[in-house]
Amino acid sequence: MNQIERFKAMVEMRFFDEACLEGVPTMEIHGELHTGIGQEAISAGLLGHLKNSDALVSTHRNHYHALIKGVNPYRLMSEIFEKKTGICQGFGGHMHPFSLKQNFSATGIVGQSLPVALGYAYAFKMRKEDSLAIGVIGDGAANHGTFHETLNIAGAWKLPLLVLVENNGYGISVPISKVLATETIAERAKSYSAWGKCVNGDDPDIVSEAVEEAVSHIRSNQGPAILEAVCNRFRGHYEGDTDHYRSKTEKQNMLKGDPITTYSKKLLSLKVLTENEIQNIFQTSKQKMFGLLKRVRGEKMPLPETALNYIFCEKTDG
Amino acid sequence: MANNDKIDRNLNGSEAIAEAIFQEMQQDENTILIGEDVGKCGGVFGASRNCFSEFGENRVRDMPISEMTFTGMGVGMAMSGLRPIIEIMFADFLGVCLEQIYNAIGKIHYMSGGAVKMPIVVKTAAGNIGSAAQHSQCLWGTLAHLPGLKIVVPSSLYDHKGLMASAIRSNDPVIFFEHKELLLKRARSFLSNPIVPQNTYTVPIGKAAKPRIGSDITLVTLSYSVELALKSAYEVAKEGIDVEIIDLRSLVPLDIETVLQSVRKTQRLLVVDEDYQSFGVSGEIITRVVENIDPTSLRQIKRHAVPDVPIPAALSLEQVVVPNYDSIKNMLIMMAKGP
Repeated sequence: MNQIERFKAMVEMRFFDEACLEGVPTMEIHGELHTGIGQEAISAGLLGHLKNSDALVSTHRNHYHALIKGVNPYRLMSEIFEKKTGICQGFGGHMHPFSLKQNFSATGIVGQSLPVALGYAYAFKMRKEDSLAIGVIGDGAANHGTFHETLNIAGAWKLPLLVLVENNGYGISVPISKVLATETIAERAKSYSAWGKCVNGDDPDIVSEAVEEAVSHIRSNQGPAILEAVCNRFRGHYEGDTDHYRSKTEKQNMLKGDPITTYSKKLLSLKVLTENEIQNIFQTSKQKMFGLLKRVRGEKMPLPETALNYIFCEKTDG
Repeated sequence: MANNDKIDRNLNGSEAIAEAIFQEMQQDENTILIGEDVGKCGGVFGASRNCFSEFGENRVRDMPISEMTFTGMGVGMAMSGLRPIIEIMFADFLGVCLEQIYNAIGKIHYMSGGAVKMPIVVKTAAGNIGSAAQHSQCLWGTLAHLPGLKIVVPSSLYDHKGLMASAIRSNDPVIFFEHKELLLKRARSFLSNPIVPQNTYTVPIGKAAKPRIGSDITLVTLSYSVELALKSAYEVAKEGIDVEIIDLRSLVPLDIETVLQSVRKTQRLLVVDEDYQSFGVSGEIITRVVENIDPTSLRQIKRHAVPDVPIPAALSLEQVVVPNYDSIKNMLIMMAKGP
């Protein structure tokens, strides 16, 4: 996967979430929307390293992971806008997208993605399949009991599991540095006989290199890996979070390090892209994602009379 | 009542369950069993005996004491095409993994708009056998409150095997509550159907049983209390009180029709539940009855359950809070004397 594709992916992700943001003040989207704005480089770093059969279990901040895993952006955005054309017909919403075709799922409960990813990893190993499972968490979930339980099991049985930690520095308002016994999360790897590395999550090339290492470790049957990618959460924890707990200076400094701007400068200086080409990518991506938004807005909501569907898949009248 | 001397297979509840698991695992290689001590030990109550040696470690896996995570693993396993049976040793431990049960297992079919199925059985041992506050709870009412979970609670030995087979074949998630007393009780001392055919069979989930037909009082109950109810009914019959017993078999789906038919006939309803009383099974059954039958046409409605207290250790105390043979018998006599 080359740098241009990584850059394109980052820009598309950014515009995808910016298009979603349009639906917040209008109440088309409600209930704690979590955008990934500022964290694009991590998902872009996954590009080219995953097979369709690999499983990815994501979190409340899941849009980019779904896109990278190949979930159709139109159907994903439809789900975020709770439309009938959504991947879950509007029953799941932005925190609970599921797409079995891509082995993609998410959970709105912090820490609960890892056990589910571990279940996939167990199944893959049991069936001697050459697939792996990625469990994504934020830094907050690294302090959840499932982190320990999952990695212990994966380490004990050498299961094909990648724990991808998107360390954006904050669990809502609490700085991770205040609640972590070690300097990094990745250094816990030793306790689980796992591979572990903490990298700069603002550069997709660095992330991609680390993912390659982690994935080849896992695919060669050596057990689990922890990849910690340090990044910034540009917005509040969720849309509506006043984010008053971070100082203006801190936020200004953070925005100066926008990974998309930084990466575009890098590609410019490496002569991978020209200024013109970069502007074209911005324009095309914006058009594409805001075009999706327009289509999605025209779609129908699920019918009220279907609200009691899907509680069970088999008949329940005894 | 069966002539119990003629029973050639004197199985207990755990053997009946183990036989169902064994046969279902033989028929579908995607069915796997995970939990604490389910492997070489065969389950602390023996409900997975013989499975480990037959199917091996990959399919019968002893888990570390990490209930929250191995229950969540069941979700990933199910999404990858497996059909996991998850053993939570005691129902009291459900609290440790409840998050994955009620936020994932019970909701994913719905949240995915019907696209994802959760063919998972969570089996667990409930009930009072003198094990005090943290190893005695029933909690089926708590779980039945949560949407998306089928709640199966077998009583007869025949149903232990047949309902477990149905639970494993179900594409919906099933929480399967065994009762410790019944897991250890042998066929020859069962009052309800003790015959367990050797071949495979299923008992449909969602259909109540009527282990005793009667005309004076409808006694609705489940699990081990069915045995107590049968014994009590046999005793009060000597005094001319004719009790009809309904074994619910499952709380979700709830076969309220069978209850209504009986109550229309007897006009007297007693619900006996070994679980906590308030906000639970007895309240739900009674509500559904009065929603469907004009209450003024009913003569008596009573309930008998654990009076919202933790289960005490001393048997002298346990006896007064958990419905037992004498207390049920006394309730029946009192009701028969009333209107």
